[in-house]
Amino acid sequence: MNKDKHLVISQLVKAYPNPFGPDVRVVDGFDMTIKQGEVIAVIGHSGCGKSTVLTMVAGLNPISEGGIFLGGKEIEGPGPDRAVVFQAPCLLPWQTSYQNVYMGVNQTYAHVSKKERKQITEYALSSVGLADSMHKYPREMSGGMQQRVGIARAIALKPKVLLLDEPFGRLDSLTRMELQDVILDILDKQKITTMIITHDPDEAIFMSDRICMMTNGPGAKVGEIMEIDFERPRSREEILETDQFYEYRRRLLQFLDDCEHEKEERKKSKIV
Amino acid sequence: MADKTTDEIKYRILRYLDITGFTVFDPIVRLCFGEEPKKQVESIAKFLIVPIIFVAICVGVWWKVAPEHKTKSGEVPTPDVVFESAVINDTFSKREKMKESDFLLVGSEREETLAEVEKAIVENDVLVVEYKAKLAKHEADYEAKLEEQLSPLQANLAKLKAKNKELAAELKAASAVEAEKFENGNGSKEGLLAALRAETEFKDASRIDEGIIKDKIDAIRSEKYKPMEEARLDLSAANNEAQFLSKRVDFLTRANRSMKVEVAKEKLEASLAKLDDATTAKAALSESKKVIRQEDSITRLEEQKYASAMTVYMQIKRSLFTVFIGFLVAAAIAIPVGVLCGLSKIAMACLTPIISIFKPVSPVVWLLIFQIVVGAFFPDPESHPFFLLMNKLPFIGSLGVNPALIFSACTVAMCAVWPALVNTALGVSSIDQDHINVARVLRLGFWDRLTKIIIPSALPLVFAGLRISLGVGWMVLIAAEALSSSDGLGKFVWDEYQNGSSFSFANILYACFVVGIIGFLLDRMMIILQRFVSFDGGETSL
Repeated sequence: MNKDKHLVISQLVKAYPNPFGPDVRVVDGFDMTIKQGEVIAVIGHSGCGKSTVLTMVAGLNPISEGGIFLGGKEIEGPGPDRAVVFQAPCLLPWQTSYQNVYMGVNQTYAHVSKKERKQITEYALSSVGLADSMHKYPREMSGGMQQRVGIARAIALKPKVLLLDEPFGRLDSLTRMELQDVILDILDKQKITTMIITHDPDEAIFMSDRICMMTNGPGAKVGEIMEIDFERPRSREEILETDQFYEYRRRLLQFLDDCEHEKEERKKSKIV
Repeated sequence: MADKTTDEIKYRILRYLDITGFTVFDPIVRLCFGEEPKKQVESIAKFLIVPIIFVAICVGVWWKVAPEHKTKSGEVPTPDVVFESAVINDTFSKREKMKESDFLLVGSEREETLAEVEKAIVENDVLVVEYKAKLAKHEADYEAKLEEQLSPLQANLAKLKAKNKELAAELKAASAVEAEKFENGNGSKEGLLAALRAETEFKDASRIDEGIIKDKIDAIRSEKYKPMEEARLDLSAANNEAQFLSKRVDFLTRANRSMKVEVAKEKLEASLAKLDDATTAKAALSESKKVIRQEDSITRLEEQKYASAMTVYMQIKRSLFTVFIGFLVAAAIAIPVGVLCGLSKIAMACLTPIISIFKPVSPVVWLLIFQIVVGAFFPDPESHPFFLLMNKLPFIGSLGVNPALIFSACTVAMCAVWPALVNTALGVSSIDQDHINVARVLRLGFWDRLTKIIIPSALPLVFAGLRISLGVGWMVLIAAEALSSSDGLGKFVWDEYQNGSSFSFANILYACFVVGIIGFLLDRMMIILQRFVSFDGGETSL
């Protein structure tokens, strides 16, 4: 099996039918190859189709054209090998954090003993720093803690790809930084292939190995790919002191700016 | 430390209040524990005192308005009369209980009780005599008072009547004179007509005058003389008591179970002795037949139960039982079908016409349909194995399960099924898409999806539906019982309406309050249950 072609997204298209004209192609020809253990950030303006790509990879959204191959096999519907952390924590409110994580573990580790399943659950929860809040209900926890449970639920499945859909979008900046560190820590230890959707340039640079910049939709595709050359494990303070960081940031913002310009141009031309 | 424990007690009480939905009493508890007295007093005044005053005003209006409205069943009863009817119903039920215990008493206990009752009879007889004397005195007083008030009026009336008669005769004579003039040939039309008109006008006027005085007399007669009324009530209460006590004596002696058994045993022994003495085959045969019959009757007597009259508490018990049976049947149908409808659009499409058409049908129609359809299953209910079995069961047997109860329960179920069904379907179909996504990613099987995600997430709405169902069921039940003559509160109201004694109207209003209060308690019970089972109810553990 080719480790360089762990997750291949090929000519991905998402089209919605339009009763008054040709189909609206929200995503049109998205191409990407992800190595095993790599962390890819997908960045773009809101509404550009980033989340659509991710939900298609997750299998929650049917693919119109093209294909997605994981470990050489085409994906078919959702599955625990592609764990998702949604923007909202999506915990079941009638279950404790332990039960929420255990439900997934129970489902994917059908062959191991109950005791081991318990250990896996407890390990996942403690690795996101919730060893003390295992038996709390979601309503008793803050948003950040709830999102931690969501992360624990995803990593406990030992997925081939971890899909993060703007996981910190609803959190305040302090909590966001904490959680970024938590995830980086886990990724460094477990080397899980990860795709993270974000619209925060700093987050993208800090967390990923490569950043995929998407053009504006409709008809969104990969605009530019930028390699991030920071050593792992990374420390926020050190990265923030390098000139490299600001260079990356400049390029990212430049790209996003250009996209915006292009969109405005398009609008103008339409009006004319 | 002491502070901490009192705080704990306080918060525990507050939580109980929250769970039971009696948060109105929150400030009282807080005030008792000395928390911000000013604020608590203010909120007690606003949300407790003002509502109480309002209710008091309503009761006051009732008190004032009720006697004004005369109906064919007498005056509309005032609150005190309704309260009195509650007391009477309570006394009746207590007496029934006492008679039952008397019926079952044995040996020395029976004799002691009998002695007590006999003593009570003597005491009561004294009271009866006393009350009779009192009543006689008050009656005499009343007569005297009446005489005093009426005699001048009657004298006036007699005078007026005599005078009017005289005048009427004069006018009649005048008319006659006018008429005679025609005979003489000098009669005038106008003169005669005027005379006749004057005569009739005078008659009408005098009738009105007399009527005014008569009305006054009637008003005085119908005025109630309080002491006499009270004495009458006292006497009738004492008479009732006397009747009850003599009944008790009956149940302690002649009608007592152990006494009956004893009498039967004596008879049996006599028969046995006769059998011993029998010389002819025929005599022996007839005597031994008698022995067997008597033995049977002894075993029957030993198991005999007191045949109690229906008290209002028994009616309540039976009504509650019926409504719960109906409600459980409704829930058992509504929840699975509702889940199915919520899950499958096809099932929903299939059931929508049925739900929409049958939901608005009146319970009365359902009752009649069930009487015909379900009634066909047991043409002979007396010997039907189902009823025989039911009436042998420990608690249920005492309620007397009969076809009428089944019909009422079916009607309750039929009417209560809809809200629960619709709400369950809504709860299941409106499940959060995020939760579905979680299930899809985890590839949960159908059963896990149902039990771990769909049902828990629908529970709050399911319970909201069940709550409405129970309310509807309780409302429907009263009507169904009234119509099907199934013993219960509905029949109690119906019987009172039919029987039309002086207290029935008060009894109906009393039943109205009982039904209301029980309905309220059932609703509260469902709220508490809902809070316990659903995840969004906040703190659910006590």
